[in-house]
Amino acid sequence: MANVLDLRRRIRSVKSTRQITRAMKMVSAAKLRRAQERALAARPYAERIASVLASLKRRIEVLDPETGNLRHPLFAVRPEKRILLVVVSGDKGFAGAFNTNILKASYHFLSLCDDREVDIEPIGRKARDPMRRRYPLAAHEEVQTENPADGEPLTRRVRNRKSRVEVVGDHPGMLEKLTHAATRELASEIIRRYTHEEIDACYLVYNEFKSVIQQRVVTERLLPLIEPGKAVIVGAIEPTEEERQHAATVAAAAGISPFGEETRDTEAEQFGTAEVDYIYEQPAPELLDGLLPSYVAAMLFHAMAESVAAEHAARMTAMDAATNNASDMIDSLTLHMNRVRQAAITKEIIEIVSGAAAL
Amino acid sequence: MASENQLHVTLVTPERILLDTLAASVDLPSRTGRIEVLPGHAPLLAELGAGDVTLHGAGSGAETSRWNVSWGFVEVLPDRVTILANDAVAPSAINVAAAREQIERAHAQWNAAGDDAEAYEAANRLLDEAQARLASAEG
Repeated sequence: MANVLDLRRRIRSVKSTRQITRAMKMVSAAKLRRAQERALAARPYAERIASVLASLKRRIEVLDPETGNLRHPLFAVRPEKRILLVVVSGDKGFAGAFNTNILKASYHFLSLCDDREVDIEPIGRKARDPMRRRYPLAAHEEVQTENPADGEPLTRRVRNRKSRVEVVGDHPGMLEKLTHAATRELASEIIRRYTHEEIDACYLVYNEFKSVIQQRVVTERLLPLIEPGKAVIVGAIEPTEEERQHAATVAAAAGISPFGEETRDTEAEQFGTAEVDYIYEQPAPELLDGLLPSYVAAMLFHAMAESVAAEHAARMTAMDAATNNASDMIDSLTLHMNRVRQAAITKEIIEIVSGAAAL
Repeated sequence: MASENQLHVTLVTPERILLDTLAASVDLPSRTGRIEVLPGHAPLLAELGAGDVTLHGAGSGAETSRWNVSWGFVEVLPDRVTILANDAVAPSAINVAAAREQIERAHAQWNAAGDDAEAYEAANRLLDEAQARLASAEG
């Protein structure tokens, strides 16, 4: 049986662990508040872009009536042979099942892809590392060709696909300092690949975060755009009722409203949708050229901002559970220690008494 | 205090709503040239270029009546102007050194573009943006 000294040492160690988890919980609560504000502040822009795009799309036909061509390549629907999957996870662990759920959703999506070629674009270290262990990195090769026009040598980067599923791209620190410029860059890269027909569809796996109790891991289709402003959810993992309640109580204790602010921005919904004949300064296809990348970038930014908020919320809940567990452990260890100490005292008394009786 | 000859101006960036105020008129950089909007303007949807948005006769709530914006969209209705800008900064917050550096970068890209129309376009955008920033910073 462990002696009193050992037990005391263990209690001390559990106590310091509890202090760390409690501090992490408070840090996460503060960060969650900031992330939530940022996600909320980003909403007006995204809503306005979506509504103007939807209205523009209603007004003009997707197909040019004269030539029968598509107005914009992002509306092109092709058979899905090559898919780009953008996985948004966290950069750090200690967030309960947050990263595991993201990975689970991505693996589930990949298992549905059968024999289609998939490129994975991981964002966040916790998605990148396991994906890289599982799937090979995309390899590019420089090929020298001659320009058919003037015979000058040209260097082209050619993709060398070795495996059905490959990992492309790396975005270290993108979530840590989330800026719109960075997501815009990523969006234009995705659009470039789509318009050059390197990919036929783009899906996004991320943790949707409407509020502390309203969150789930969703798989959403980003491209092709069929109906802007409406999310196309192809899969979702909902949290259990128990998880939801725990999250709500923790959030309430940290002073964060578990319901979030339900703001219906009617002004945003009306943007660009007034029932009047607009003068379009640029021809519609040109307007679309500018609008669509902004829309895709706004969608990506929105997904990442929500994912960051969800990560902090998950960490806060996980650390609260860890703190509670540590407290339970300290209680049971203290009880055990007192028993051991009492047993030793009783044993000593018995020894003394029986020694005295023997005299 | 909204009256008939005032415009409700909203400047929205991807990060937040930067400005929500009343003004007598607004000067905007559209993609194809500058436009001035007065109350009662015909409904218009235009792409924004790089340059300064200037509010004239702005309400007392505005700290500055001039913002440097680059790229985005603007919707004009008779009583309301909504500007969706990809990027908006106050002239005093412009980093002049960074803008100069961007001009050089744009020139380098422009020279390296070769026959690639997309690369040209990107270099031109970079250049326009930086030049508009510099002009804005100098007042």
